[in-house]
Amino acid sequence: MSRVRRTPVVSTVTFAAVMFLWIPIALVVLFSFHSTGSLTFPFRGFSLRWYREVLGSEEVQRAALNSLTIALASTVSTVLLGTLAAYGLSRTRSRWRPAVAVLFFVPLTLPGLFLGISLLVFFREAKASLSLVTVTIAHLVYVLPYFLLIARAALDRLDPVLDEVAADLGATRWQTFRRVTLPQVWPVLVGAGLLSFALSFDEFIITFFVIGPDSTLPMYIFSQLRRTVDPQINAIATLLLATVIALFAVTFLVTVRASSSRRRLALTDLTGGGA
Amino acid sequence: MSKAQRQSRLDPLWSSLPAAALVGFFVLVPLAIFAVYSILTSRLFEVSGPVTTRNFSDALRSNLNRSLSRNSAEIGLLAAVFSVGLALPMAFWMRHGAKRARAIVMFAVVASFMTGYLVRIYAFRTVLGTSGVINTVLLRLGIVDHPVEALLFSRISVTVALVHIFLPYATITLFAAMAPLSTSYLEAAEDLGANARQRWSRLIAPIMFAPALSTFVLVFVLSASDYVTPQFLGGTNGATIGTQVQVAFTGAGDFGAGAAVSMLMLVAFMICYAVGVGVPRLLGLGRLRFMS
Repeated sequence: MSRVRRTPVVSTVTFAAVMFLWIPIALVVLFSFHSTGSLTFPFRGFSLRWYREVLGSEEVQRAALNSLTIALASTVSTVLLGTLAAYGLSRTRSRWRPAVAVLFFVPLTLPGLFLGISLLVFFREAKASLSLVTVTIAHLVYVLPYFLLIARAALDRLDPVLDEVAADLGATRWQTFRRVTLPQVWPVLVGAGLLSFALSFDEFIITFFVIGPDSTLPMYIFSQLRRTVDPQINAIATLLLATVIALFAVTFLVTVRASSSRRRLALTDLTGGGA
Repeated sequence: MSKAQRQSRLDPLWSSLPAAALVGFFVLVPLAIFAVYSILTSRLFEVSGPVTTRNFSDALRSNLNRSLSRNSAEIGLLAAVFSVGLALPMAFWMRHGAKRARAIVMFAVVASFMTGYLVRIYAFRTVLGTSGVINTVLLRLGIVDHPVEALLFSRISVTVALVHIFLPYATITLFAAMAPLSTSYLEAAEDLGANARQRWSRLIAPIMFAPALSTFVLVFVLSASDYVTPQFLGGTNGATIGTQVQVAFTGAGDFGAGAAVSMLMLVAFMICYAVGVGVPRLLGLGRLRFMS
């Protein structure tokens, strides 16, 4: 098969863009290992002192634990509610379908600033004090539509005949879902769940308005950024980056192996597979 | 009647109810309250009756708001132009590039998509600052004799960081949208004697117009409403309408004014979305479908 001829312009732009994306991040990682507090060249040697400081800080530990709790809680709820909702939207013949689909689209198009402020105002009026619970609720409604978009695209790609066959053979809807649908889509659901986790773990724009006195890792970075700029932030950033990449690698391997070559988690799944 | 038959009477849409109720209750209701705030009289960290249109007339008359909105629009437009402008060739390359390099680029894009939002803002602060990497390198090389301050605390630095934030997202979206643009089409175009420019204008552009425009609008809206990047990278010239709204709710306590400005922004954004959906339809490019 002959390959499409690529123009040098496209290759050059791609190369430059990848450099643009990674050079600043690579510098952050590099200077997290700096032996001095300087964040610029010349590089004066490696040291783990900033990691020791960060990992030893109680404030960071508490923030990390909060971030983890919120991300786990909102991801588990998102996967459960989102899978149900995606299944309903993809199988229904109801005339209400477009209205429900649009409802789930609203948080995707609404800038985080407005989602954050309107939730702040809402919790004020409801006399609910701001806490990790309000943050989890905010993350849930922010992340759920992304999960839904991906899950729905995966469900829509399935052959509907399989459902009918299962029904003809006397399977209940739950049995069909459990034995026919789920085995085909679970790698995508796991991938989408992971994306939900990563989105929640990194969320700042909305969290800022609904968090109250507690802290999360992004909130901690924000407060540090306002005070000083020192390699501690580099160390936290590097740890976050390593965590997310490791999570992705593990999920990718697990889903690819488990689903053999049948249905692999693809990059396009992240965006709801085309369209 | 068997269990299966009984079940099939209940429409599957019911299983969407819990999630729909949640989103309705925690998104639509809060938005409605937020909208009501914009027509109430504002006191310090408080709103109350009577109903008034003053928040809106003040917001529209304010010169500060006007110049901040202009800043936001400029930042948003530039960020959208560069994000989509870079994402299109990247997405194309990811579909049709050399196999091994393609995997590396894909990984680079997805991994940077997962890199923290504040981390990227921070990265540009350390790169562009007066004692940042670019300035110290320029000084050492003797190209400049004092640090270039314009690199940081300007609209340029805000835009550069926003492009960094939204480029991976734009690339992944456009990559997915390129699915119908199969190799066989490009080969056919080539066999028929189309040169690179003709391939872009006759084949790629019509297919990619609608997804590129919707990505453009989304990046514009998200960049123009961003309130964190300008705080850290914008300086005084880079302040935006988003930072103004944030301050109204967290610092100044003028809820009515903040809500009115927000509602005006929302209307402007909705017009943008309508244009993003409407223009491809008017041009007959909204529903292009090819067999792939």
